[in-house]
Formats: sequence, C-alpha cells, structure tokens
Amino acid sequence: MAKSKTKKPGQTAEVRARSREKLKFLAEMEPKKMIIYPLVVFIAALLLLAVHFPPLGIDLKGGVVVTGEGISANPGQLEKELSSKLGVEVHVESFTSVSGSKGIRVYAPAETDPQKIIDILKEKYPNADFTHSEVQPTFGEMAKKQGTRAIIFAFIAMAVVVFLFFRNPVSSLAIIFSALSDMTIAVAVMGIFGIQLTTATIAALLMLIGYTVDSNILLTTKLTKRKEDTIEEAYLSAVSTGFTMSTTTLGALLMLWIISTSPVLDNIAAVLIFGLLADFMNTWVFNAGVLRWYLSRGVEL
Amino acid sequence: MNRKLKKILLNWKVLLLIIFLIGSIGSLYARGLTFGIDISGGVALVAQTEEPVDSKTMELVVDSLQKRLNTFGLRDISVEGQGNSIIVVKVANVTSTEEANQLKVVIESQGVFFMEFDGVIFGTGKDITYVGPYEIKPDNSWAVPFRISKSAAEKFAELAKGKAGWPVDMFLDPPINSLLVVPQDVFMTMNGTGFNAGAPDAPPLAVRIEKALNITAVMYTNQSAKELKEMANGRTIVLAGVPRALYDQLKAMNVSVKYIQSEAGTDTTTFIKEILGLYGPYSLGEGLANGVPQTDVQITGHAANRVEAEREAKTVYTVLKSGSLPVKLRVISMEFISPKLGQDFKNQALYAGLAALIAVLLIVYFHYRNWKIAIPVASTSLFEIIIILGIAALIKWNLDLPSIAGIIAAIGTGVDQQVVITDELLGGERSAKITRRAGALKRIGRAFFIIFASAATTIAAMSFLLVYFVGTLKGFAVTTIIGVLIGIFVTRPAYAEVAKYLIGEE
Repeated sequence: MAKSKTKKPGQTAEVRARSREKLKFLAEMEPKKMIIYPLVVFIAALLLLAVHFPPLGIDLKGGVVVTGEGISANPGQLEKELSSKLGVEVHVESFTSVSGSKGIRVYAPAETDPQKIIDILKEKYPNADFTHSEVQPTFGEMAKKQGTRAIIFAFIAMAVVVFLFFRNPVSSLAIIFSALSDMTIAVAVMGIFGIQLTTATIAALLMLIGYTVDSNILLTTKLTKRKEDTIEEAYLSAVSTGFTMSTTTLGALLMLWIISTSPVLDNIAAVLIFGLLADFMNTWVFNAGVLRWYLSRGVEL
Repeated sequence: MNRKLKKILLNWKVLLLIIFLIGSIGSLYARGLTFGIDISGGVALVAQTEEPVDSKTMELVVDSLQKRLNTFGLRDISVEGQGNSIIVVKVANVTSTEEANQLKVVIESQGVFFMEFDGVIFGTGKDITYVGPYEIKPDNSWAVPFRISKSAAEKFAELAKGKAGWPVDMFLDPPINSLLVVPQDVFMTMNGTGFNAGAPDAPPLAVRIEKALNITAVMYTNQSAKELKEMANGRTIVLAGVPRALYDQLKAMNVSVKYIQSEAGTDTTTFIKEILGLYGPYSLGEGLANGVPQTDVQITGHAANRVEAEREAKTVYTVLKSGSLPVKLRVISMEFISPKLGQDFKNQALYAGLAALIAVLLIVYFHYRNWKIAIPVASTSLFEIIIILGIAALIKWNLDLPSIAGIIAAIGTGVDQQVVITDELLGGERSAKITRRAGALKRIGRAFFIIFASAATTIAAMSFLLVYFVGTLKGFAVTTIIGVLIGIFVTRPAYAEVAKYLIGEE
C-alpha cells in the first residue's frame, strides 16, 4: 500500500471534480423540466404495460420446460418436429453456456408429459443431459397471488420506513413515487425484451425497492440535512456519489448477467439493471427536481 | 506508520470484522457448504393438500411423508410444510427423469384412509402406528397385524362391545360428502346383507357409509340432471355405471361431478368396492368384542388358494402402510435438475462472483483513481461474501441459485454504501477539506443515517418475501437479510474506520 500508484496527493479530488463538471448539466436543469420528463417516461411505461405486459413464466401460469445440455440444433426445426410428434404446440430456444457447450430449452403447455419430450430428444441426442420442470396452473395461480401480495406489502413497508426516517410528506412521497416508477419502468422494459415475469423476477423487483431507496435516501439526506452547503453544491455532491454507486452495482450485475446461463440468475440481473437505469433518472432527475422546487420555495424541510 | 497500522488493527470495529472473518473461515472449513438441489442436482416438488389443514395435521402429513419416502429407499430428503396447504419436498441425488417422476407418483398415491364400524369412523390413517409383516397359513387364511393409536383402540372397544362377527370396513379415498347415483343392482346389493360379513343384524353398507362418510346412495331411475342437482344439495355427485350423458349435463350446470365407468365383466361386489375404495368388510373377531381396548389388532381373511391369499394380504398390507396420510396431496410443481447442469451453475456463480468483485475494484478505482480506496472497498465486499457463506455453513443453509443471487445483490448494496461513506469522508470541495476529527465523525454519522435507512427498507421489503412466499425463493430473502445485517453491524463500520485512516492520511 505504501508504494501505491497515487503519486500526486489530490488526484482523487481532481478526478472527482472532473466527473462533477460532466454532471453539472443536471444541476443546471430547471426543476420543472426535471419533474416533467420522468413523469412522461412513467406514463409511457404505464401505457406500454397496458398494451404489452411481460409474458408470464411457467411458474406463474403453469407449463413444462425441458432443458437439454449438449444439444446443438436449429430451434425452429426442432420446434416443428416436437410439435408434430407430441400433438401440442411447443416452443424451443437455444443457448450457449460459458463453457461453450450448447443447449436447448423446450417450453410446452401444462399437462404435457415431460418424459415424452425427453424420450424424443434422447433418441436424437443420446449424449445430452436433461433437466425438466413442470408447474400446474394452480401453483401458478398461487404464486401469482403471493407475488402480488409480497410486492404490495414490501412496498407499503418501505413507504412506512421512509416516512419514519424523513417525517415529511413531500420528500417521502417523492421517494415512494421514484420506487414505484423504477418498478413500473423495469417491468415495461421486461415486456420490450420479452423477459418473463417469474417468481425470480418478482424477487428482483422486490430487491429493486432496496436499491432504489438507497440513492433516494442519499439525495434527500444531502439536500435537506446538510445545511452548510448550497442546494446546488449538495446536489452535485450527491449526484456524483450516486453515479459512482450505480456504476459499481451495474458493473457487478453485468458480470452476473454475462457469465451465468442460469435463467434464474440472468433474469434477476437483467431486471435489476433495468431498474437501476430507471432509478438514475427517477432519483437524480425527478426526485431532485421535486426537492429543488420545494426547497426553492423557501420551505424548511 | 506501524503505530498507526497497529492502532487501526486494534480498533474494536476492525477487530470485530477480523473475529467474524476467522469464525466464518472456521465454520466453512469445519462444516462446509451445503448446496440446494438446483446446484447439487435433484428434485424439488411442491405439493398441495386437497383442502387447507390445521398446523397439527400439516405436521402429521410432513412427518408421514418423510417416513414414507425414507422407506422408499431415498436419502437426503427434506420435507417442509408451508402455510396451511403447501408441502415442499426436496430430494437430492436423483439422477434420472424416470426416478424423478416416480417420486411424484409416490407422493400423489398417498391415500386417505378410514376405519369404520357400525357407521362410525373410529380411526384414520394417522391412527395406524405400525404395520407388521403379513402371514399366510397352510389353510390359505391370512393375517396382517397392525397397531392402532390408544384413542382409536378405546373408541373401537366401546363401539364393538358385544358385536362379534359384525363387519369392519376400511376405505382408501372414499368419495366422502357425495351423492352416489348407482344402477338398481348396485343399490340393492348395498342395501342388502351382502356386505355384512355374515352378520345379518348389522346395518347394511348403504346405511353405514351414509352415517360415517356422508355418502348417500340413490338408485338411478331416470332422474333428470336438475333433480340430481337438487338432491345433492351442494355435495359432489358421483355417477357410477349410469348413462354418461348425465355427466356432461351436470358439468354444464357447473356441478361438481365425478364419473365412474363400470367395466364389462366386473361383478357388482367388485364394482361397489371400486366405487367406495372399500377394503373388507372384515369380520370382527371374538377377542375384540369384549369392550377392552386393544392397540395390537389384525385383519384376517381366507382365500381359495395360496396365490389369492398372498394377493389379498399384500393389498391390505399396502393399504394400511400407505394410507397413513390424513389428507390427499397433489403435486403442483416439480423441478428436476441433473447434477451435471447444477455443477455448471455452481461454477458460473463462482466466476460471476469473482468477476463482479473485479468489476467493482476497477470501477471504484476508475472513479477515484486511488487504489487506497478501491482495494479496501473490494476487499470489504469479499469479506462480506466470506462471512455470509460462513453463516450459511453454520446454520446449514442450503445454498441454491436464488440464495446466490441474494449474495450478489447484497454485495451490490454493500458497495453502494461504502461509496457513500467514502464520499462523505472525502467531503465536498477541496477548499472545504478542513477535516478535523469532529468533522469526520459528523460525516460518518450522516453516512450511517443513510445506510441505516436503506438497510431498514431492504430488510422490511425482504421480510415480506420471507413470510409470504412459498417455494424456492426464500433463499434469496434469507441471504439478502443476512448480508444487510452483516453489512450494517460488521463490515461497514470496519470499512469506515479503515477509510478514515487511509483517506484522512491523504
């Protein structure tokens, strides 16, 4: 450590000053615009959800999935072949694992016998390794109910904790709205990319509540509790910290997403990435706009 | 420098971290990690009870299912009841899909068993505490000894007093609470003495099942679907050997209805047994009719030849043995992961974890251009992983994929909070950097306000996942909560101390 490459003392401060310079455009934005843009995005996300909700995964609607590793096949062709042999409509996807081996996933409706799918595939690919799961629609129904309940309760719990910490309706509501908008945008983007809503992605949405509140609490604390700085200065210092926070987390999640081939891990990472990107806007533009507008009216928070 | 280093190492917050680290490495070494079946390979099944049950019944179901699967010759089984209707079964070391499907059959074929005498249920499957090996005698008579609970024995003794030779009925999955619509011959047989085991004074079968199981048998005399619906009065209608058209009509009227086909060539007695899931009736032995409770009892019978006797005895044995569930189960979700695929996932999670740490190290360095910040931040995250894993080993938590995702998520928030601490310590403008001790304390205090507030919200959110979710996602909540707690109480305070020392020096 003694021979660290930090030759000049103060290099850290310089780098930080430069990144602040880059983020200055945010500080100069008009509060009203800062509130309106994210609201437009939120409403767009809501509209998008109304017309195109993410597909439900088999653990929420019921169905059968057979995964075969060590199979290199044309998904379209295999799909036709399996559909005609089984007499039900199946969907086939292919994937490549990090070790380079190829595999396929076969999705079939509930009540299909996974053994039959495996038997057909085994004939063609005797050396493949198979895994299967099947979910009855009743389980999906239950998981859906529980997932909705978990999200609603978690959200309420978060809102209560935020209220207890800040005891101010404007700043608390701004945080709660940010969290809501993060989740809504994340779900809307899932719809765009065709990422299924599963119990795993519901967990990721819950996790998002934790992440979102992090940066929002940071912003609110800095803007309302740090009296020695000007609002602009406090905002800039918060946004540069927030930028560092988000990029490190994004980096970690990106690694998880790139390296894993497990659908569970992939989907959790993807949803968190969408949510964090949305959070950047909602915290540093929307929430900051609300707080700056509110503080500019000379109210004591 | 050395004195300063010593001072930082002896700081109690840093010491606490070191103690936790040593403890975790020790725990990992001594107990090792256990992995969930989605990594080690195996089957995860979620079964639902036919109707919601109380916690006592749930315990019984879990217990008997565990025993049953154990006798099936499987190892590494975990059976867990969740809520009032869900049972999660996980079996490791299952290597083929065939084996996995067999498990499903075993769980679903668990019947609900009733023992009835004189129209009274005196015991169910849970009252059978032991079933002995059956025996066949040279005269082709057979016997299956079994033990019933004390309460069942007492109830039975009272009922059976002075009724030697009366019929004892056993049912496996009878259509309880139903209106049973049958053809004339079936109806007559049920109301005659054919099912009385040679005791003409005993009430006929139709009376016994009505009293004991609320099954009302009616003769089919061209009643309309509407009439039957009225007669059923909300109960399930069971159509046995009557025109199929009735089934479709009732179904269209949204009535709960079941249809049992009568196979050509089956005699009436066999058909009745099939409809009711009836075993017996068995004649009550003299020794049991004296009013004295006896827990060790046996069912006896006589067959025409040895093969027949063997078959009968075996049937009764299996029914007694497998009918020990108080409620019927249905498998509603099942997942099979081959050990090879699981191994891949484990490696990927390991690589992803390492890559995430390296990414954090590089990004933090890039932001501050200072290894004195980047290295402690990344190492703190590494320590956090080690401690979470250490605790997982200690409490024998099964690490499954969602748990691993939870660990990675916890690292994400951990890094966030370290950045908050770092930035608070670095302060705003360079000119404002008159960092006195009081200033640093105040800044750290502010950082910890933020950290506690976000930890509180994360824990609040995750607790609901823990309480309200069934199935496999609990691991995610558990590791996240452990991670957050370790973060706020152990790693973050230690990081703050180290950072104060390293950054303050600059």
